[in-house]
This record gives sequence, C-alpha cells and structure tokens, in this order.
Amino acid sequence: MTGFVAALLLWTLVSPGSSDWGGGSAWPTHTACRKEGLEVLYQSCDPLQDFGFSVDQCAKHLKPNLNVRFGIILREDIRELYLDIALISKGDFVLNYSYPICEAELPKFSFCGRKKGEQMNYYGPINNPGFEVYEGKYQVLVELYNEKRATVACANATIICS
Amino acid sequence: MKPPWRLAGTLIPAMAFLACVSPGSWEPCAEVVPNITYDCMERNLYKIPSSIPSSVKHLDLSFNPLRFLASQSFSPFPELQVLDLSRCEIQRIEDDAYWGLDYLSTLILTGNPIQNLAPGAFSGLLSLQKLVTVEINLSSLENFPIGHLRTLKELNMAHNLINSFKLPEYFSNLTNLEYLDLSNNNIQNIYCKDLHVLHDTFNLSLDLSLNPINFIQPCAFNRMRLRELTLRSNFDNTDVMKTCIQGLAGLEVHKLVLGEFKNERYMKEFDKSALEGLCSINITEFRLAFLDDFPKDISGFFDCLVNVSAVSLVNLNLHSLEGLPKDLKWQSLELIKCKINQFPKLVLPSLKRYVFTANRGADSFVKVELENLEFLDLSSNGMSFKSCCDQDDWKTTSLKYLDLSFNDAITMGSNFLGLELLEYLDFQHSTLKQASQFSVFLSLSKLLYLDISYTHTEVAFHGIFSGLVSLQVLKMAGNSFKDNTLSSIFTDLTNLTFLDLSKCQLEHVSQGVFSSLSSLQFLNMSYNNFILLDALSFQPLHLLQVLDCSFNKIESFEGQELQHFPSSLTTLNLTRNAFDCSCKHQSFLQWIKDQRQLLVGAEQLQCMMPLDMKNMSVLSFRNSTCQITKIVIAVTVVSVVVVSVIACLVYKFYFHLMLLAGCKKYGRGESTYDAFVIYSSQDDDWVRNELVKNLEEGVPSFRLCLHYRDFIPGVAIAANIIQEGFHKSRKVIVVVSQHFIQSRWCIFEYEIAQTWQFLSSHAGIIFIVLQKLEKSLLRQQVELYRLLNRNTYLEWEDNVLGRHIFWRRLRKALMDGKSPEGTGDLENSHEEMTSLT
Repeated sequence: MTGFVAALLLWTLVSPGSSDWGGGSAWPTHTACRKEGLEVLYQSCDPLQDFGFSVDQCAKHLKPNLNVRFGIILREDIRELYLDIALISKGDFVLNYSYPICEAELPKFSFCGRKKGEQMNYYGPINNPGFEVYEGKYQVLVELYNEKRATVACANATIICS
Repeated sequence: MKPPWRLAGTLIPAMAFLACVSPGSWEPCAEVVPNITYDCMERNLYKIPSSIPSSVKHLDLSFNPLRFLASQSFSPFPELQVLDLSRCEIQRIEDDAYWGLDYLSTLILTGNPIQNLAPGAFSGLLSLQKLVTVEINLSSLENFPIGHLRTLKELNMAHNLINSFKLPEYFSNLTNLEYLDLSNNNIQNIYCKDLHVLHDTFNLSLDLSLNPINFIQPCAFNRMRLRELTLRSNFDNTDVMKTCIQGLAGLEVHKLVLGEFKNERYMKEFDKSALEGLCSINITEFRLAFLDDFPKDISGFFDCLVNVSAVSLVNLNLHSLEGLPKDLKWQSLELIKCKINQFPKLVLPSLKRYVFTANRGADSFVKVELENLEFLDLSSNGMSFKSCCDQDDWKTTSLKYLDLSFNDAITMGSNFLGLELLEYLDFQHSTLKQASQFSVFLSLSKLLYLDISYTHTEVAFHGIFSGLVSLQVLKMAGNSFKDNTLSSIFTDLTNLTFLDLSKCQLEHVSQGVFSSLSSLQFLNMSYNNFILLDALSFQPLHLLQVLDCSFNKIESFEGQELQHFPSSLTTLNLTRNAFDCSCKHQSFLQWIKDQRQLLVGAEQLQCMMPLDMKNMSVLSFRNSTCQITKIVIAVTVVSVVVVSVIACLVYKFYFHLMLLAGCKKYGRGESTYDAFVIYSSQDDDWVRNELVKNLEEGVPSFRLCLHYRDFIPGVAIAANIIQEGFHKSRKVIVVVSQHFIQSRWCIFEYEIAQTWQFLSSHAGIIFIVLQKLEKSLLRQQVELYRLLNRNTYLEWEDNVLGRHIFWRRLRKALMDGKSPEGTGDLENSHEEMTSLT
C-alpha cells in the first residue's frame, strides 16, 4: 500500500490543471454598477488575468463624462494602447468603436508608457456623451491592446436595463 | 502473494498519473525561438528552471514567485541578452546574483518589492544598457548599487518613492547614460547641487513628469545641456510653474516638454506669464500639451519662443492664433487638437513643416503664405477645399509632403501646377470631386506615394494616373470603377511596387491591365466581387511577391493558365472565396494543394460547391473521386463499342459462326444437293447470275440442283426431275414468276414437288416470287394461289437493302434442318407440312 500512497501523493503534487495557471476555469462575473434599473456585469475574457472596474454614477439617463475606476496589473508594456468596443443587441453587432488611448508620440494619459508588471489604476472621467439607455439586455465586448496587438485587458460585459 | 499485490498497487496509479500528464507539462517554459527565446511567464515557478538550454538569449521569467535571487542564479545561461523578472515577488537580491551575464543588455525588475539589495547585486553585467527598476519601492538613489554600469544607456526608475533629486556621485561614472526616467516619484525640490554630477553630459533625456515639484533653485540647471526635459503634471498652479520655469534658467535643452496629462490636471487657471522664464532657456524644440483654460489672448505668450525652431501645441484650448509675434523663426509648427475656430492665415516665411490636424473648429481652407514649406499635414480637420491644388494655395514651390486625408469635400480644380516636387500625397477618407475627369496628377513626375482610398472616386477616365512615372505606392481601396471593370489605367506607373485595389466592387479585369507594372511586388485585390480570375493577367508581374484575393467570390482560376502565375510569388491569400470543388476544376484544386506553402490559411479554404462538399476544406478534395468517374465513363464507352462491334460482326458473319459453332459436322447426309430449283427457263438469267452466284459462291455455300447443269443427259426429263431433283435434294426452291405459271414443265415440276413432299415427308418448299403476279393468272393455279396466300414467301426486290434481306432470309431458310443426323430435317419438314396445309 505504501507504493499506492506514494504514487497518489506524487500525482496530487504534480498534477496539472491546478487553478494556479488560471487557464482552465473562467473568471468570476463582477458587478460594475447596479442602481435605478441599470445593472452592468462583466467578466474578464483574458485567460491570463482578471481586473477591477466600476462606474461611479449608474442610471438609465447616462450622464456625460462618467467617472470610472479601473485597476489592473499590466501583462504588457503600454507605450501604445488601443480600445475596441463592440455593442451587441439580440445577436447583432450594433456598434463597433475603436479609439487610440495612448500614442507613442503624444502620451495623453499619465499611465501611457507604463511597463509590464506595473500596476495601473485609473480613476477619472471617460469621454462619453450622455444618453438614455433603452430597456433591454445588451452585450458589450471590450478589448484593450497594445502596439504589438497583445491583449492588455479584455471583458465580456452585460448591460441589463429594466 | 503479497509482493505482486504491492507491485500492482504501485503500478496502476503511476500509470494513471502518467496518462494524465501530457508530455509538454514536464517542460515549464514555452519555446519561442529554439535555443534562443524562452517564455516562462506566469508558470508558478519557485526557482529558475534548469531545463532551459544554456544558449538562451531572451528569457522571460515574469510573474513567477521566485521571492529572492541567490548568488550566481543565472550562471547556467551565460549568453543571456534580455532578462525579464517583472513581478517575481523578489524581495532580496544577493551579491553576484547576475554573475556571469557578460552579454546581458536589458534587465527588467518591474514590480518587485525589493527590500534588500546587496551592494554587489548588479556586479558583473559588463554590457548592460537598459535597466528597468519601475515600481520596486525604491526610496532613494543614494545606495542604489549601479555605479559600475558604465555601458548603461537607459535607466527607468519611474513609479517609485524617491523624494530627492540629488543624483549621487556614481552618476558621473554613467557616461553613456542617454535616458533617465524619474517620473511618478515624490521629488518636490530641486537644488543647485542635485545635478552637479551631470554637468559634463550632453546627451541626456530626463523625464520628471508627475513629481509634485514645488521649487527649483535657479542655479540647478545653469549651464547644463540636456537632450530632452519633460515636465508634465508637475505643478500645482501657475505661480509654482512660473517660479520653477524661472529656476531652469541657463539650461540649454534640445527639446522641452511642458504641460499636463488629460487625467492629471492640477492647474486651475493658466496664466501666460507662467512661460516668461523660457526667455532664459536655450530651447530648440518646444512642446506644450493638455492645458485647460488657455488664455484667449495669446499676445505675448510666445515672446520667449521666437527663436525656437520647432513648436508643438497639443490639446490646448487655443481658439485662434491671433497675436503671434511677427519675427518668428519657427521652422516647424504643430497644432494638434487645439480647437482653433478658423484655419489661421499664417504668414511665416521660415516655416518648413506645418502640421494642423484634428482641429474640428475649422471648416474651410484659406490660402496662406508659407514660401518655404516642404511638409504640410492638414489631416482630420473635416475642412472643405474649393479648388485643389496649386502653388498659389500655399505660395510655396518646395512642397514635398501633402496630407489632406480625413477632410470633407475636396474639389480638384488644378493639376498641382508649381508643386512638381511633391513626393507624398494623401487624400484618404476625404471626398474627391472631379478627380476622374482630367489627368489630375499629370505634373507630379516625382511623386512616390499616393493614397486616394475611400475618396468616393469613380474611375471612368483612363488617363487618371497619367504622369505618375515615379510612383511606387498607390492605395485606392474603397472606390469604384466604371462597369465594375478594372481597365488600363496604370500605363505610366512602371515603377509601382505596391497597389491596393481592395473594396472596389470589381468584377472583371480587362486584358493587359497589369502589363506595364513589371516592378509590382504587392497587390491587394481583396473584398471585391471577382468570380473567375484569369491567371494570365498576372503574367507580366515578374516581381510580384504578395497577392491578396481574399473575400471575393472566386470559384476557380482558369486551369490551363495556372503556370502563368509569377514564380516570384511568396504569399497568396485566397481565403473566404466560393470555391467550386467539382471535377471540372480538378487541375485548379490540385494546383492549390501543390502550392499550399504559398497560401495563407490553406486549411481554412472552403468549398461552396458542389452541395455535397459545401464547407469542406479544399485540401480534402481527392483526385481519385474524379478518376473513378472517369474510369466509369471510359469503361461504359469501351463496352458499348465492343458490344456493338461484336453485334456487327455477329450479324455480318452470322453464317460463318453458325457453321463454326453448331453445324461444323454438317453434311448433306444422303442428299447430294441442298436445294432443287424449279424455275422457268425465261428466268434463267436471274437464276444463273443471282441465285447460283450468291448461294454457291457465298458462305455457307449451298449446292443447288439445276436442270441445265445437273440433269443427266439421255435420261427422260421426268426421270431426271425425280431422280436428280427431288430424290437427291433436301429442299425445293420454287422461283415463281409470270413465266413460271405459263410454263407447263414448271407447273409439272411444282406438282411433283408437292406430291414428293407429301410422299417422302421430305424437304420443305421455299417460294421466291420474282415479280408481281397477275391475280387472274395465278388463280389458274388454285393450289399455288392458296399456298401463296397462306404462306410466307420471299419476294425479290432489286435494291441494296431488299437484296440483303432477301439473301439472309433465303440462306436462313436453306440452313434450316442442316443437321448431320437429318432428324432436324424431318421435324422441319413436318412443321412445314403443317404450315402448308
């Protein structure tokens, strides 16, 4: 029986698929905001990491220049940083939006140029227009990537307006 | 019994374990370039993996809990050039940790909470050029043990807790230092002695952004020379900024960057007096970025920047450029996102480079006087141009670069007269008007680059690109062509190397379109509506390397012409087309399989037709399917031919076969003759020339009994008839004709034949009607008349088909009963008897 126990122990120790790699299981779903009939949920779609995100004001009548909080430990340098947003309603792409956040020659934000392994926290307004959110359920795909087209952060968000 | 049980108990789980562990998981790192580059990022390694070959040059160990670096940790990897230790939870680095890394040029330590750094931690490292110590909890420069790194060029110490800018003495050793990043630290005051050690360096770029600087002692930067100094989001208010800039007095700097970040704004009100101190700084290039509340009246603002050669103003609420000093010596001016209301009427003779972009306030272009302008970027303004473009618009004849992209409508009114030196021209995403009505670019013989993508141009005029003899790059995606046909518009473009024709709704390519493009290397024809492409049209492109035909509706290329594809081709993209995988395109499909190393995403090529192969990979097409069909068709054709030939042969040689097969042993038995012929001597000609000739000389040859030949002389006719005729013959042929009925002998013979047949139960009688008989005449012979009415007889017809049928029937009739035993004869004669009666 000692042999059996030894082999079992070895297996437990070296067994792959332990959660440390983070590749196997999906990240948990977080709530970015929930208030007045509007709920924003998101889940990281980057197999390497999860991240934190929240919206300060959350209402059906969306105000312009919302304040958001965003925190992540960078897995890539972000000398250049680009944002892609796709809005999906009832299975159709309603809106695709691409925006350069950091450009090499003209660093706009203080976090531009941060390094792999460095923490990045952003608290401040985003440059959004104010609008009314219609009732329904929307899917939003958000991806941040750098000049090498490596994913910096990626999220599947769900917006439920009731 | 115990040992075997124990063995089994060990073996079974061990095998289960081995089955679960894939072979790769023994190797903790990903091999990016064999023996050179290894990626071990986030592999939960507690120590440096020993399985990596010693030849490794790039090693990424980031995001592993290494915790500390012991002495000589990396001695197994003496060839290392780049080492990434980002976020390895390293708290302690011992002496000689990097010992032996004589070729290491880049060391990254970002995000490690280093508490204990031994004095000899960085010893060795003879070639280190870049050291990244971002966010390592460094609180002081004083004891950082890098004084011996003489080769160091770039030192990044951003995002730490450094609160003193006092550069220690060891900086005087770092004579090669070019870039020092101390941004996002806690430096508040800069004193005269702080930069003392830098006085001999000339080439340093210094970034002090995001430090809460309160005070700069006026002598701190005196007589110092820097390549670049960046001070963004440093000052709380205008007053601090003013005194600090005054503190930079005596500095000679190539490029000075001031301003804030979009998300780090501290100065509530910006006063133009803040920049007064710039007068005592020697600046070559000046940039100001992201300042809110810019004063409306800018007069006096640029007074200290008159002698600067380059000015860049980014994201400022400038509104207008009214009040600029007159004697400016600027050679380069950038106005980016400055919310300027109108296109400024600049008069700046010294200006060579002018960038005016993303100023959405300006709506139409006005003429300016910039006599020496060489570089002009007016992109992304949404402006309209009433008449473009000639020398008069900018008063310059030196223009080489012109970017008018992302604007509104641009009407082409002139063909660049006086702007013959242009080398670069970009109109993309602006709406070009009248561009295809005359040779717009005729005078631009030096133009190298032209972009008219997405300009709503419909190419109808063949001379649209006339005169562009030097052009190397032509981008015209997202336009349209008359009749959706690509016609010969590239005749002059003999030096073209890059051509983008994507998203042009093209369906056809006219012959000889590419014949002049012998230098072309890259051709993009994706996102069009091509169905069938002619490989022959690509033949003149001798140097073509990349051809993109993806996202079309291509079913096939013409099979015979595939060898005309340029042999220089290295990349061919045919993805997302509607390939027809039926056998008629077999040679094309085989060609795709042969050229798979050339094809982008060969595995993703899918068949759209035929239906049974829909969505299957083109590579799964098998030649054998077509061969099977071919074989089936071939076999069918051959067998039909063979069968018909055999049938013909059998028909033709029917009697030969009969003889060979069944009647080989045929003999007439007791009979001497096959048939006795009863005929009138009037029909002698027919009998001799036709009957005898055909039956006695043909195959099978019959022997006939004929009275003129076979009757024995000297014997009575009646006796001859019976002895020679009936007695020795199997059958009787009666040649019925007018003369036959009238001849008494014939009737006599016929009656004997009937009687003979009746008596001996012997041979049948075969009637041949030689000519139409009169009924009245025939009625005289009642018996004959009745017989001919009831029985089948042979009728002689004097034509080819009639004769053929006649002889076959007669031969068959004579063959009947031709059996050796003669029993068949008997049966036959019985049958004939019954049919006769």
